[in-house]
Amino acid sequence: MLARAAQNLYWMARYLERAENTARLINSTTDVLLDLPQGATLGWDTLIKAVGLDESFSKRYSQANEDSIMRFMIEDEQNPSSILSCVKYARENTRTLRELLPEDLWECINSLYLYLRANANQATTSRRERYLVLNNVIAKRHAIVGLISGVMAHDLAYQFIRLGRNIERADMTTRILDINFAVSIPKDIALYEMSIERLWMSTLKALSAYQTYRRRKAVHVSSKNVIDFLINDEHFPRSLLYCLNEMESCLRVVPFSDTVLNTVRNSKAGLQRLLSDNLHNGELHELLDLTQKDLGEINAALNKQYFHAKVGQQQSQSDAEMVQ
Amino acid sequence: MLNTWSKEQIMEISLSEYKSITAYDELFDTNLRPRSAAQPLFDYLNSLDANELLARRQAVEANIMAMGITFTIYSEAGNIDRAWPFDVIPRVMSRTEWDPIQEGLKQRLTALNLFINDLYNKQQIIKDGVFPREVLEGSVNFRPQCVGVTPRFGVWAHICGTDLVRDRDGTVYVLEDNLRVPSGVSYMLENRQIMKRIFPEVFRTTSILPVDDYPTQLYQTLAALSPRPGDQPVIAVLTPGIYNSAYFEHSYLAQQMGAHLVEGQDLLVGTDDRVYMKNIFGLQQVDVIYRRIDDHFLDPEVFSPDSMLGVPGLMRAWRNGNVGIANAPGAGVADDKVVYAFVPQIIRYYLDQDPILANVPSYLCMYPDQCEHVLKNLDKLVVKPANESGGYGMMIGPRADETERVKFAELIRANPRNYMAQPTLEISTAPTLVDGKLAPRHLDLRPFILQSDKLYVTTGGLTRVALRQGSLVVNSSQGGGSKDTWIVEEMPSC
Repeated sequence: MLARAAQNLYWMARYLERAENTARLINSTTDVLLDLPQGATLGWDTLIKAVGLDESFSKRYSQANEDSIMRFMIEDEQNPSSILSCVKYARENTRTLRELLPEDLWECINSLYLYLRANANQATTSRRERYLVLNNVIAKRHAIVGLISGVMAHDLAYQFIRLGRNIERADMTTRILDINFAVSIPKDIALYEMSIERLWMSTLKALSAYQTYRRRKAVHVSSKNVIDFLINDEHFPRSLLYCLNEMESCLRVVPFSDTVLNTVRNSKAGLQRLLSDNLHNGELHELLDLTQKDLGEINAALNKQYFHAKVGQQQSQSDAEMVQ
Repeated sequence: MLNTWSKEQIMEISLSEYKSITAYDELFDTNLRPRSAAQPLFDYLNSLDANELLARRQAVEANIMAMGITFTIYSEAGNIDRAWPFDVIPRVMSRTEWDPIQEGLKQRLTALNLFINDLYNKQQIIKDGVFPREVLEGSVNFRPQCVGVTPRFGVWAHICGTDLVRDRDGTVYVLEDNLRVPSGVSYMLENRQIMKRIFPEVFRTTSILPVDDYPTQLYQTLAALSPRPGDQPVIAVLTPGIYNSAYFEHSYLAQQMGAHLVEGQDLLVGTDDRVYMKNIFGLQQVDVIYRRIDDHFLDPEVFSPDSMLGVPGLMRAWRNGNVGIANAPGAGVADDKVVYAFVPQIIRYYLDQDPILANVPSYLCMYPDQCEHVLKNLDKLVVKPANESGGYGMMIGPRADETERVKFAELIRANPRNYMAQPTLEISTAPTLVDGKLAPRHLDLRPFILQSDKLYVTTGGLTRVALRQGSLVVNSSQGGGSKDTWIVEEMPSC
């Protein structure tokens, strides 16, 4: 497979995952905002801080309110991580990959793009429309994942898609875990405990993890348990451990992956530091930063190993067969 | 009255428009009765009510959007996509009429390839006085870098798109041979896909010959050029990238053939003069390149040094026989409107046969007497520059105003070798759905001809239609649309 094609597959998957995750994050934040007591300060700007876009936002908008932040995150094509941008890039990448992907996949991604282009504006202005449109984005994205897993050959191209999906997913989980760091709730509010519980509940909901959490932990929603679950659960597909295990299993079938595998194993070992008792918000924030750096290492290792072939790296015939 | 169209029928014909036109119509005879090959089509259209037809047309548009069938117009900066304008009324031709056209196309490409190979080697046709040396010397598409090369099978132009038009009296003429990087074949294939999705019933009642073996034929044509023996040569489609107007087609053909879609940056030429593709596990040798970029950008070591699209060393690899390139660099020398005028002589010279297909009579401004004739008759002639494609830079005399004619007279005098002129043909029309009515629109036909060890012609080709009333320009880059093209086997009449 062409190095550039592998890279495009990987990024196509990352963009699609990012689009879905952003849609989930917005829907769950809207939901929790409705429930917070007066005086609590979870602002919309938490969202852009979580995804690390606060600087590029303030360059383009003077006021951080629901309207401007929604416009920025959903439909602003100047923001490379807006949902519309992500879907657009995923579509452009797919266009360069049509010979590697199932025929219907292009139509699916194209239809997601056309839908979003037609509806993104409504989604920024009305909360009700927003919920509907973003849910449709999520559903259409699921149709794409379904096609990939059910129709596409599970060959090398597929592994690069899986790698992209899981690294992006892990990245978003660290960011969503970090969101509560940005929230302050006045201590004197009688509903403090309940508000905290609501916040962590919304964290779970943003990752569609609430139900599984309840089943597997069967307890209150407490910060320690939520953190433990989202980091260390072996079966929940959005936990950090699960995502890293997925990447490990991809790399086991992709040849010449030793260096990259090492970076994945390092990240897994690093998860342990997130699990120590009595982490307060500030510490968790710093440790999550480290996890994101680890993910960056994996990305860099993939880049170096697979996305840039050089002179002197002639493939033997047997390598060539492996590619087929 | 069964065969005639009347006002009561749902699919109304814009009679006034039809009556005012004297061109040959592909589907109707002069009494507005369907031609026999088109009869089953009209029987079918008659069975639909008006709402049904409009609903299907909307379905077509939705399908085109969903399938993402697009092309780019250069002047619309930043807009990568534009939906492919498609007319639902097919253009129908009987197989008995098509067969000799197909033979004529094969004859023409065979002769042109012999001609190109001769020009780059012995130049016997010039020595024999059949083709003037000064035409070759004035050619901007002759590549001295290709002299002395004989590609496999002596074939230079492996993929040719020849534009055909029909004049008022029904004669089919060759308008031009596109031997550089002709495009449009993917639209021919997609048009048929759309028709099959939206009008499945009509394919049951009419014997329409299929078109979908083109990707297989193209694959075989390319595979035959592989310098390495083996069943599965590595074939790459070389594209300039997603901003090219034909990118859709490049990715479509790569997908249909199971070939790799590559950009210049994905390839390199090693010190062994072989071409390699940059893969995830290193470099893999490429056997055949179907290039969709112009000669000038192919190899910065030989042509434009600032080309970012090409591959340094590619010409070296090709000259040494280590990679097949289709179309071969330099093949465009025969894709020149002045050379065009000599094609009948070229066919006679190499094949000792009479041309099967007619050439439009052409006046070459390089000859003072013919130039004089052109300048005197600018209001009647179509003037074309020798080396432009896509309908750019031409003047349709009868439709031009005085300023434009004066401008062209100056252009011709300044560079006579670069201009030729032809009588204005009254090119044929076919009914096209415009505002819910059938109105006549001018069209042409671009079949695609393949040649390596074998010859192949598409069944029909791409019909391009000028969607604006009265317009003669069918190029998609200038707002033309297209139709599905049916070559039908006529049932014996009872």
